[in-house]
Amino acid sequence: MIQAVPGHFPSPRVLIRRRLFASQVLALFGALVAFPAVALGQTAFTVPALPFNIPYLPSPSLDWTVKIGVDGTMTPSFYGSKNFTFSPSPIFSIQRAGSPEKFTSSLDNPSIALLDFGRFRLGPVGKFVAARNASSDNALSGLRKVSAAVELGAFAEYYPVDWFRTRLEVRNGFGGHKGVAGDLSADAIIPLDQGFTFSAGPRLSLKNAQAVSPYFDINTAESLASGLPTFRVKGTTTSAGAGAQLGYMLTSQWEVHANVEYERLFNGAAKSPLVKSRGSPDQLTFGLGLSYSFDVKVK
Amino acid sequence: MLHHLRSTKILSVLLFPILINACAMFETGEAKLKRVRTISIISAMGDELSFTRSGLNGMDNHSQRYSIKSWKLDDAIVKQAGALIATHFQVQPIAYDPELFYSHSGKDSPITPLNLIRDDPLKQLLRTQAQQQSPDAYVVIVKAESTIGPSNRTVEGAGVVKYNALFGSCVQIHALYEIRVYDGHTLDLLEKRPAAPLDNASVTKLAGPSRIVDESYMPSAGDPAQNEKLQAAIVTLIERSLQPTLGDLHLADLQ
Repeated sequence: MIQAVPGHFPSPRVLIRRRLFASQVLALFGALVAFPAVALGQTAFTVPALPFNIPYLPSPSLDWTVKIGVDGTMTPSFYGSKNFTFSPSPIFSIQRAGSPEKFTSSLDNPSIALLDFGRFRLGPVGKFVAARNASSDNALSGLRKVSAAVELGAFAEYYPVDWFRTRLEVRNGFGGHKGVAGDLSADAIIPLDQGFTFSAGPRLSLKNAQAVSPYFDINTAESLASGLPTFRVKGTTTSAGAGAQLGYMLTSQWEVHANVEYERLFNGAAKSPLVKSRGSPDQLTFGLGLSYSFDVKVK
Repeated sequence: MLHHLRSTKILSVLLFPILINACAMFETGEAKLKRVRTISIISAMGDELSFTRSGLNGMDNHSQRYSIKSWKLDDAIVKQAGALIATHFQVQPIAYDPELFYSHSGKDSPITPLNLIRDDPLKQLLRTQAQQQSPDAYVVIVKAESTIGPSNRTVEGAGVVKYNALFGSCVQIHALYEIRVYDGHTLDLLEKRPAAPLDNASVTKLAGPSRIVDESYMPSAGDPAQNEKLQAAIVTLIERSLQPTLGDLHLADLQ
């Protein structure tokens, strides 16, 4: 049985919260723009270092660049959905002053390089997969709630040349799912002009049946409640696609960036009635972000 | 009750030296510098200039190196740092072999957690090279590294980087260095600080003193050792950054 899925409208409470968040961000940006020292690109703040040194940890007494900003992303409201959800998220990073930012794609998950040969890096990686509630989208009505999952694993990154990056992540799930997921991506990083960078490349994702079953299996009770036929994921779910990013430094402090990722699901979960009847195997994510950087001296 | 009091006393006697030790361990470099009267300066920025292409550079991953021995950069650095430090400390000249310091400038281990616990290679070198003078502190100036562009490629010390983009290119010169302060008696590292960028107005970033220049500074425009414009620009980067860096280390007055 096919059900009509209404559009995803945010509640008034969510709208108020978003407006408040937007006004706070605007106020913060306004304050920073009004601060002449920052606009001139000088050190914005000098803060005293800790009154003691912590053995074995690098001294924080340095010049640091702090980046703050906001990202707005439209993502499928659940994996396999044809509806979109808007999610704003803050941008915050601290790095040694002057260090150029390392390339990251919007698909990269938080990672730490324990082995760093410059062109080749290896280390642990983690990903948080939010819980899936039937109440979040009408297409999920009658289906069970899937708890949040944490995926932990390893990543490897290799730059054969300065302008080309390949990255592999393999992660094992805990909590909401207990399967294995792997992501492989390649990006050509093309500097168009000073401060204007375009990057794009192919993507390939593999997930075993245990990694997708909690989200796409439909048991008898769920079938009765949702009107969808029973289904059990068999084999590996593959998704292939492409992604692109555009970054532009408006000034040495202000930066705008946009990104788009497309993937198409094949096999496994792609055959689920949830995707076939109420969702789509074509998954599109796109986002836009604005950030501001300023220097802080710790002495 | 008496037994309990005795145990407390024994515990206090045992804990006191540990606490004193811990305080010394957590003491800041600035506090440790208060005991310093005499300082010897060692500069090991090197006698090479690198030329690196970044961005759309085809399959070229290598940097070219040119000798700039005739520039006598290290002598100039020792002279200028000495003049700045002499306002607060007594500078004690020291004889050392800079070649040995070039190869021990303390490159990070690829196994990143090891960098937090491994022994400083310069400390060992100071022990063998310069101990006979025994000042209260050594100020050692060595090459520092910075990544270039979005990849993990690095440049160090003095050099020129050419960024190739699809619609244009730019040339940047750099003088990346770090100042380390060692206790002259224990040879413990008291403080270290890389020279910071002189301003952050450029969108092409490097983690240290650098500046955008025109094509005439390129090593391809002739022998870089003979390029007086390039030499003057690199020396100016060092001169402009030495005072603020030494000032941040509490070794000289801030401008």
